[in-house]
Amino acid sequence: MGRYVVVRLYSMALTLMGLSVLVFLMLRLVPGTVVEQLIGADAVVNAAMAAELKRFFGLDQPWWRQYASWLGSLAHGDLGTSWRTGKPVIALILERLPVTLELTAFAVGFALLLGIPAGIVSATRRDRVVDNVTRVGTLLGLSVPVFWQGTMLILFLSIYLRWMPPVVWVDFFADPRRNLTIMLLPALCLGTASAANVARTTRACMLDVLGSEYIRTAAAKGLRPRLVILKHALRNALIPIVTVLGLQIGILLGGTVVVEEVFTLPGVGRLVLWSIYQRDYPLTQSTILFVAVMFMTVNLAVDLLYAYLDPRIRY
Amino acid sequence: MPRELNRREFLTTTGLAVGALGVASRTAHAQTPAKAGGTLISAQTTEATGLDPQLVPALSRSRRSPLTYNQLVRFDPDMTPQPELAESWQISPDGLTWTFKLRQGVKFHDGQEFTSADVKFTFDRLLEKSQSGKSDFNAVDKVEPAGKHAVKFVTKEPFAALVAALGGFWGFIVSEAGVKKYGDLNKNALGTGPFILEDWKVEQQMVFKRNPNYWKKGLPHADELIVRVIPDEANIVAALRTGQIHHAFIEDNKNYNLLKEEKSLTPYRSSRLGYDYLNMSANRGPLKDVRVRQAISWAVDRSQVMRVATAGFGRLTAPATAPMKQWQLPEEQWMKYYKPDVEKAKKLMAEAGVANGFTVKCMVIPTFPTMVSGAPVIAQQLKRIGINMEIENVEYAIWIKRWQAHDFDMTMNSTPGYADPDVAFFRALHSTKGQNWNSWSVPAVDALLEEGRRTMDPKKRKEIYDRLQIAILENVPHLWLYSADLIDFTQASVKGFRQHPTALLYGLEGASIDKA
Repeated sequence: MGRYVVVRLYSMALTLMGLSVLVFLMLRLVPGTVVEQLIGADAVVNAAMAAELKRFFGLDQPWWRQYASWLGSLAHGDLGTSWRTGKPVIALILERLPVTLELTAFAVGFALLLGIPAGIVSATRRDRVVDNVTRVGTLLGLSVPVFWQGTMLILFLSIYLRWMPPVVWVDFFADPRRNLTIMLLPALCLGTASAANVARTTRACMLDVLGSEYIRTAAAKGLRPRLVILKHALRNALIPIVTVLGLQIGILLGGTVVVEEVFTLPGVGRLVLWSIYQRDYPLTQSTILFVAVMFMTVNLAVDLLYAYLDPRIRY
Repeated sequence: MPRELNRREFLTTTGLAVGALGVASRTAHAQTPAKAGGTLISAQTTEATGLDPQLVPALSRSRRSPLTYNQLVRFDPDMTPQPELAESWQISPDGLTWTFKLRQGVKFHDGQEFTSADVKFTFDRLLEKSQSGKSDFNAVDKVEPAGKHAVKFVTKEPFAALVAALGGFWGFIVSEAGVKKYGDLNKNALGTGPFILEDWKVEQQMVFKRNPNYWKKGLPHADELIVRVIPDEANIVAALRTGQIHHAFIEDNKNYNLLKEEKSLTPYRSSRLGYDYLNMSANRGPLKDVRVRQAISWAVDRSQVMRVATAGFGRLTAPATAPMKQWQLPEEQWMKYYKPDVEKAKKLMAEAGVANGFTVKCMVIPTFPTMVSGAPVIAQQLKRIGINMEIENVEYAIWIKRWQAHDFDMTMNSTPGYADPDVAFFRALHSTKGQNWNSWSVPAVDALLEEGRRTMDPKKRKEIYDRLQIAILENVPHLWLYSADLIDFTQASVKGFRQHPTALLYGLEGASIDKA
C-alpha cells in the first residue's frame, strides 16, 4: 500500500508538471494581456505607460523565463500574487474555497440520496413502470445543461412563486439558515447530472449482481429480500459506484464554474472565470493547479477506498 | 418636476414616435420627507475593472465614482451644470483664466478638509498620469490655488468646454493623502462623496457605508449601500421581481417589457447622452472612399436596427444626442440623411468603382446585447448593395486591444456620450489631436473642431457645431445608429431615485427606502 501511494504521488507530480506547462502556454496564446485590461478601451494608446506596466508584471520577459519564475515560487510553496487584486492567490482561494466545497458536498449528497435509491428501485423492479420512469428521468438529468436548468429554475420560481434565493451571500457560520436557502438551488442543479449518473450506474451494477448465484443462494435460504438487496447485493455493487462518484466529484468541481456564475456564488469557479477575463495570469494558473491537485487527491482517496470496500483488493 | 416636463416636451417636439415612446414612466419623486436608514441593494451586470477615477477609463468605473467622489461641477439630470464642490466661477476677460470659488467645510472620508491644494493635486495627477483623462483637459495649461478656498485654471487658449469637462467622467476630486496612503485608488476610494467604500469582494459586491459628514445635509438617506454584480441579466430581472434587490440598471432594453407591468416596481425610462454607432476605419480598402461610406449610410435602415437592438426603447439621433439639448440639430436637418435609399446607395457604390460589392469584417463583443442583435440586421441591409459584412465575435479584452490599435474594418460600438460638443466630437473625430476613432482625415472637420474649442460666444459656438454636424453627416466617419433609452427599475418602496443621462449613479444618494 505504501509503495502504491508513492507511485501514485509520483505520477501526480508528473501530471501537474505537464498541466502547468499547458495552462501557462494556453493562457498566453489567448490575445490580450492584463495591460490592455488596465488601460482600457477609451485610452489613447500610451506606449510608455503600457511598457512600464509590462515591465512591472514581467511580461517583457521571454515566456520560458516567466514560466521558470512562476515554477520557482511554486516550489517555495508560493502561489503568487494576483495582478488585479494585489492579494496573494492563496488568500483569494482560501476565501472562496469553502463556498465551492460546500456546494460540491451538497451536490454529492444530493446525488447519493437520490441516485442510489433510484438505481436500486429501478433494478429490483426491472422493466416495470417505476424503472421506465427512472430511466427516462436519468436520461433527462444527464442531457439538460446545467446553465439552462439553473436559469429556468430561477425564472420559474421568480415568476410563479415570487421566490428566489437571496442574492447577497451569507457565510454558513454567520447565518446557517440563510446560507442553506442560498445553496439549495445551486446544489440541486449541480447534483442533477451526477444523481442521474449514479442512478444509472447503480442500476446496471445491481442488475449484474442480482443475477449472480450467491444472491440466489441467499434468497433460497430464506433471507428477507430487503436484507439480500441491501447487504448482499448493494455492497458488492458499490465499487463501480464509488468510482463513478470519485470522477463525479472532479466533474462537480469543474461544474461549479457554471453554477457559481449562474447563481453568482462567491466560489473558486467564478474566481477562475474572472481571472481569465482579466488576464490575471498568476491567479488563473495557480488556481487551476490548485483545483487539479484537489481533483487528483480525491481520485487517490477513492482508489484507496476500494481496499476497504473489497478486502480482496490489495495494493 | 423639471425632468418629466423636459422629457415630454422633447417627445412632443421631436415627434419621433417610434415604438412606445409616448409612454411616460411612472417616476417616483419624493413628495413626503424621505425616510433615513436601511440597506439599499443595487445590482448590475458588470464589475468595475478598477476604481481610480483618474486612471480607469471604463464606464463601469465612472458609474460608481459619484458614490464616493464629487466633482467641482455636476450636471443635473437636465444636463445643466450646477455648483458642486465649486460654489461659483468666473472667466477672465481674455477667456484664459477661470477662477472657481470652492465650498468650505467639506471633508474627505478620512476627516481631512477639502482645499484648493486637493484640486491642484487632482488635476496635476490627471494631466500627468491619464492619457484619456488628459484629452478632456488638453487646453488646460496649469491649475493654481488662489488662497485656500479658490482655484485658478489657466488655459493655453480660450477653452469653452472646461465646465463640461469638470462635470464629466474625469472631473472627480481625489485627496492627496488618499493617493499617498493607497498608491493608486483602484481598490480603495477616498473622496468627499456620499458613501464610504467599506469592503469590495471582486465580482461579488461593494459595500458602502453612509458618509456621516457629507456636506449635503441630510444625504445620503440609506445607512448602507450594496452594489452587487449579477452577470446574467435574467437573474437581475428575477431578483427585482422577488424583491431581493432595490434597484437595477437594465442593459438589455428588451427586459423593460418583462418588468413594466410589475406592480411592486417603479420603472424609469429617459434619454441617454450616449449612443450606439457603427465604427468604420476610413483607411481600409473601399472604406477609404467617402462615397462608399455614404452608400453604407444610405443602405442602413437605422430605425430597423434600433427596433431589434433596443426593442424600440430608444431613438434615432443626430451627432449631438437629445440630452445635449441646445446642441442638437433641428430634426429636419439630420433625419433626411437617415431615410434609407438603396438605389442611391447602389449608384454611389458604382461611382466608387465597387458596383459588385466587397467583403468587410465587423467586430461584435458577445457580452454587449445591443451589438449582438444589431449587427446581423446591418449585415442583411448591406447585402442589398452587395456588401458582405462578416460578423466577428471578439471577446472584450481582445476587442480593446484591436480598437486601440485601430485594427478593424468595422465594429459595433457604444459611447457614454458627453455634455459639451467639444468633448463629444474633438476626441473622436480630430485627425491628429484626438483619438481619431475612424482613422480618417477631413481638414474641414478638423478646422471646425478647433474653431469650436476656441470660441467662447455661445451663439457662434452653436453655428460652428451645427456646421460640424452637417459635415459629419456628409462625410460619414461612423454611423450614429440610435440612442438607446436608459432604463432603471426600483422597488416601489424606493423613493427619490433619479436617473442621469450619463448612466452615472448620481441618483442613489437621494434614494431612500420607504418601509411603510
